[in-house]
Amino acid sequence: MTSDAWYDEQHRLTPDDVRAVTLPLTRWGRHGYEEEPVRAFMADVHAEMVRLINERASLWQEVQRLRRRILGRETGNDAVLFGKDDAHIHAVRILSSAQRTADRYVADAQAYSGRLTEEARARRDEIMGQAQQHADMLLEQAQTRARAAAVDAMNHDGPAPQTDQERRAVQAELAYLRTFSEVYRQHLRIYTEDVLRTIEDWESKERAAVHDVQQATPNPLAAQNPLGGQHSPSIGWRHSP
Amino acid sequence: LDIARLKRSFAHIAMHGDEVPLHFYSDLFLKHPETRPMFPVSMQAQRAHLVDALVNIVAGVDSLDALTVFLRDLGRGHRKFGALAAHYEAVGDSLLATFAHFCGESWDADLAADWKGAYELVAGVMTAAAREDEERYPAFWTGTVVAHERRAFDVAILTVRTEPPLEYAPGQSVAIESPARPRLWRYYSMANAPRADGTVDFHVRLIDGGAVSMALTAATVAGTELKLGPPVGVLRLDTTAGRDILMVAASTGLAPLKSILEQVAGLPQPPRVHLFFGARNADALYDLPSLEKLAAEHSWLTVVPTVTGGRFAGHSGALPDVVASYGDWSGRDAYIAGPTELVQDTTSRLGAAGLPVTQIHVEDFGWSEP
Repeated sequence: MTSDAWYDEQHRLTPDDVRAVTLPLTRWGRHGYEEEPVRAFMADVHAEMVRLINERASLWQEVQRLRRRILGRETGNDAVLFGKDDAHIHAVRILSSAQRTADRYVADAQAYSGRLTEEARARRDEIMGQAQQHADMLLEQAQTRARAAAVDAMNHDGPAPQTDQERRAVQAELAYLRTFSEVYRQHLRIYTEDVLRTIEDWESKERAAVHDVQQATPNPLAAQNPLGGQHSPSIGWRHSP
Repeated sequence: LDIARLKRSFAHIAMHGDEVPLHFYSDLFLKHPETRPMFPVSMQAQRAHLVDALVNIVAGVDSLDALTVFLRDLGRGHRKFGALAAHYEAVGDSLLATFAHFCGESWDADLAADWKGAYELVAGVMTAAAREDEERYPAFWTGTVVAHERRAFDVAILTVRTEPPLEYAPGQSVAIESPARPRLWRYYSMANAPRADGTVDFHVRLIDGGAVSMALTAATVAGTELKLGPPVGVLRLDTTAGRDILMVAASTGLAPLKSILEQVAGLPQPPRVHLFFGARNADALYDLPSLEKLAAEHSWLTVVPTVTGGRFAGHSGALPDVVASYGDWSGRDAYIAGPTELVQDTTSRLGAAGLPVTQIHVEDFGWSEP
């Protein structure tokens, strides 16, 4: 709370003001005043008292001057009418008042520059904060996108290798497996063709034999099941090429 | 000297508040116009300084040893303002005239003689100290800015070469006057241990509305010539205790502690040092890279940066809280520097946690400089 809560610059503090002042009570309970307004009021009372004391002092000086003037008239000494000392005190007052004015100008300028700096600092913090937020947003978006891409990749291709080294290892394994399967297919084809050839060979021999037997003695069993008990020997042949 | 009467009369004079120094300076400038250029345009702070010094002197009469130390510092400190012996006489005359004016009817020849005697004692101690100082040191040092680096929005680091070289202990400060702000002196700590090339660093933070800090951060370039007063201050490294060290630096309070840190680095067996460096936000940790470089070079040094606001990858919160959260510091020597309130908070916090007050080192700003 500022001083104008009780009086302004023109309206001086009066005894009634002091008696009538109401100060806000503390929030919890009703046992005391808030410190801040009480201090502000005490500062006002102090300033007013200093002013009164100074007024009294200058009145006393004035009384002394007038007294000297009367005494001077009675003794016929004109020099005391407005003596050298009085002139000096007068000059001191004028210079003091000029100094006070200069002080106020400097203080105002300083307060103004202080306010400007403070505002500039607040504005800068605000702009920096916004820029930071914007940067965060962009970064977050980028991360979200990267995450989505990673999930996609995982769903389509299984877990993606993480490091270059791992990727290289997997690629090497893949190349090996490709070569192996090619070689294996080759071997399998040769083997299978061989088996097929043997089977054809064996079939044609058997057909010829059956034909020979049918020519000699008719056998109804052999005619119904041409392979008959020949399964095992065919397998046994595989192991004894 | 009737000390009791002088004290009563001073109390009566002091009742008139700011009118007293105002009257004194007007009286002085009218009688001795040549003294006016020794003071700044605005006399507001100056008047407060004068009243502080007078209050200190009157209160200090009961402990003369301490008063003598204060007066000797005051006398030495006045050399940089260009104060000469003749000025002391002029000031004495105006002070007496002012006291007489405000004492009114209680002023008499006895009181006048007592005040005159008291002033002569004070002026005697001050001028004697100034004369002794004159034999060894210049009234002020001329410091040429060799580098001016803007480290943050509101922090600049000035590297200054002085003529003659400045002799000081790490932790000390000097008053600086910028040519852009004549007659306004502000204290800044040297931020490095003395170097072979004689240059010194100053860390300057722009105070909102601060006349000198603004001139030093914004209106200073390489080549600017500053005036430097004599080194002062009681913040020093205690090399006798042999304890490990806790340093708490808030903002440019880092300067004196960095100077001490460099001194520690030069010891044959450096103690362990934990340095907490706190600032408003990450940007304001203006010297962190250099501190982290030091920490990387020295295994005995740990640097803990903290901020009170904004985004930061390290600690955030009030500096005293962060320091306290690290646990027990009671076996350490603590060095604390920064804004007064923060230094007080940290000091009482560490005290409450069991750190003896004799192990807490802070700058004592008790000396006032008119």
